[in-house]
Amino acid sequence: MSANLIKKNYFRKIAFGLGPNTDVPSDPVAWAQAQVNSVPKLAWDGPLFSEKFLLDKRAEYRFGEDEIRERYKNDRQALKQAEKKLRYTTGEQYFESLELNIRHHAARNSGAPVFERLWWFWSNHFAILDKSSLPSFNTGAFQREIIRENLCGNFTNLLKSATISFAMIKNLDNSDSVGPNSKNGQWRKKKGKPVSVNENHARELLELHSVGPAAGYSQKDVIELSYIMAGWECPWTKKRHDANQVKFNQNKHEPGEHKVFGKAYKQKGVTPKNKLIDVINDLAEHSSCSNFITHKLCRHFICDHPTEEMMKPILKAWNESGGDLPTIHKALLEVTYEYTGMFDKFQNPEVWLMQMATMADLNWPLSSVDMIYDFSTKPKKHMNRVKWDLKEIGLSPYRPTQPNGWSDLSADWISPELLLRRIVFAKKFSSNGSTWNGSGHGPQNWSPVHMLQSNFDNLDRVLDYLSLDKDRWQQDPKAKELHPYNVIQTLFPSNWMVSA
Amino acid sequence: MILSRRFFILGGTSLSLLGHPIWNARAATQKKKNLVIIMLRGGMDGLTAVPVKDRLLNSLRPNILVNKTIDLDGNFSLHPRLKTFASLWKTGQATVVHGSNIPYTKRSHFEGQNQMETGATTPYTEATGWLGRGIDTAELNGLAISLQMPLLLRGKITADNYFPTTLGLPSSKIFEKVTSSFVEGTPLHEAMMSINARPREMLRANWKDREPLKLAKTAAEQLKANDGPRIAVFDLDGFDTHSAQGGTDGEHGEKLSKYDGIVKVLKDNLGKTFDDTLIVTLTEFGRKVEENGGYGTEHGYGTAILMAGGLVKKSQVYTDWPGLSKKALFEGQDLNATIDARAIYCSAMAACFDVDFNYMRKHAFWNEQLPDLTEKLFKT
Repeated sequence: MSANLIKKNYFRKIAFGLGPNTDVPSDPVAWAQAQVNSVPKLAWDGPLFSEKFLLDKRAEYRFGEDEIRERYKNDRQALKQAEKKLRYTTGEQYFESLELNIRHHAARNSGAPVFERLWWFWSNHFAILDKSSLPSFNTGAFQREIIRENLCGNFTNLLKSATISFAMIKNLDNSDSVGPNSKNGQWRKKKGKPVSVNENHARELLELHSVGPAAGYSQKDVIELSYIMAGWECPWTKKRHDANQVKFNQNKHEPGEHKVFGKAYKQKGVTPKNKLIDVINDLAEHSSCSNFITHKLCRHFICDHPTEEMMKPILKAWNESGGDLPTIHKALLEVTYEYTGMFDKFQNPEVWLMQMATMADLNWPLSSVDMIYDFSTKPKKHMNRVKWDLKEIGLSPYRPTQPNGWSDLSADWISPELLLRRIVFAKKFSSNGSTWNGSGHGPQNWSPVHMLQSNFDNLDRVLDYLSLDKDRWQQDPKAKELHPYNVIQTLFPSNWMVSA
Repeated sequence: MILSRRFFILGGTSLSLLGHPIWNARAATQKKKNLVIIMLRGGMDGLTAVPVKDRLLNSLRPNILVNKTIDLDGNFSLHPRLKTFASLWKTGQATVVHGSNIPYTKRSHFEGQNQMETGATTPYTEATGWLGRGIDTAELNGLAISLQMPLLLRGKITADNYFPTTLGLPSSKIFEKVTSSFVEGTPLHEAMMSINARPREMLRANWKDREPLKLAKTAAEQLKANDGPRIAVFDLDGFDTHSAQGGTDGEHGEKLSKYDGIVKVLKDNLGKTFDDTLIVTLTEFGRKVEENGGYGTEHGYGTAILMAGGLVKKSQVYTDWPGLSKKALFEGQDLNATIDARAIYCSAMAACFDVDFNYMRKHAFWNEQLPDLTEKLFKT
């Protein structure tokens, strides 16, 4: 394909634009598709902790809180001091920043930015709320070890792994569920204690994670599914609180058959564990599921209101491959290319920021050395840089406040203040003033020429906007209009960059 | 400049102001009245703020009883750190609604806070807040001052928002240039026009300007102006005192004094406008009556609403007191709620926005059966 015919906005639509060391691929769709076959390495050589280790840290924090509350119950000042210390020794003030840094590092350096965008999408699809210290200890690891690792297999496996993960069970309170006829339920009744199932997780499994509201399930389906799910818990222990690996506790499970969408789910072996797995298998294969999620993928990558026409090839890929994620992703990448230029998508603040970092080759995020922590003192100010900046720009990836995650609709991101933030961040990042490591955010030895040539379809109009002569601009690389400072401040918050 | 009068700031404790200077014809004929909501996140304990005289309370909370309370009406008294509230009580400008809560009984902060803002009976079912719908109903245009629009304030009307950054601003040329890139008439262009209409010095703030009391002063100055905003929302957290809740000098009292400080700053700076202002609290739930092993309390249900300002009818503890006997407690452990808090909020909006209660109830609360308490609680 001739370079002039390539739709370059595509690289922002499905990735973070092209950086200075990436040439415009001659076949953009093939370039993108090649990135989704296998899970790329995170490209991070700094501190990295396993989900299991972080669960131990959570336990240490939870139990530690109990201990000091008991010890200092009459001394508010001493309690405050001890709480502070506990936050440092358990990494409570550190892990979120570390995980965000790893996330952004991968987006820049894993060599598969398209995969990274899909990772961000699916992590938000299985959103973990900003509650009970989940962002501080568990959400980042959940996204790394559960979501990321399952993105090149079958959707069913992804759904299963996410559903019975610690983060999700905790997130949607499934540990609170007690079947009224379970052993535990019967005992509770005798003691006069309340017995009920928590419908939260069952409802979101249907509504948000699989078939979507259009599938037409009833409240009865939700309750029946809650019975099936009862018993899947992160068990509570005195020394660890809820920070325990998910287990199936038959004593809380509602015995018997339960129907979802008219189909009865029965125990098959010695335990009724299979009931939930069987339901998940069926939900993943339900036609509403592929519809619901295809719509969501198109809404995230192509436009706010996807058409049936654009969904068709993706649905076909989904159904013919039986939910094979690489196949689905490849169809999405092809369709997205087709619609590039016809439909624009307003990019959310985090994607926009990473596009700016990639395209302008910014000093972002921190290096692995910057993130080494001693677990005894307050984390150094610079360590929280990425977390603070994301908060200031309006999207804290591990802290959505609604179970449906961060919005994919432009209306939720277009407000005066959120736009103003892009303007001030572009200014901040255009500068080479001193930052945490003294070298500034600003680009080093970066020329906007390659960036402009490789990332924009309407180059003439972009040049016009930057007051550059379209015939002569490349002959005068020292022109003040081409100064990185000017290009970053002017172009990045503008209409040419906020949508693609 | 109109926008400068609607200016607003938000901080570590956040604050939002709303209300367009040129409201609809219906409201324009009315006197400007202000509604201030103070959200108390974490579960404010009504029995710590306004303890009832009941020996049962003493026996259930031997270690966290509040001493030196200020008597209100013989039956109830006030936490000693609510000093401003106590002085307003003396001048007939303070009301307590006790044994009340939003219809939420499941003790999750998250669900509870979602419902306290949406006003719905199930969590995560509504995308708008009761105050946002109330503003729609009264046909007021709004300016929210926060980075993300607080759920409480979200409504049909696309509100302007403001939340000053602490980062440096580029030159005004950059603003003009960026604006020129957007297509006129699109939401993006309109958003840029709102930014450009603000004086430059209002686009950013220092960290100091984000302190709660400083925000309260700014809010008072804005609310006082005739063409200024008429709605402000504060957001205070830290009421989740599972331990060291304490009595007089405990953590809960500390948080209550923060609330009281905001009321004081508003009172001191509003001047005569305080007479046309109503300041109301909002929380997700109260706390369990019996203390726990850590000298704190667990999540509960019923609690108290504190109301201050010239628009309250008189100083009173308004309650249908449920009692503290085991039988009277919700699930045998929490103070019950005999008054749906939404009736208070609906009445407060009706009174402050000069809209008929039933009209407000229909549009802001889906016509749910809420009693009209306007006459009982507010000057109308």
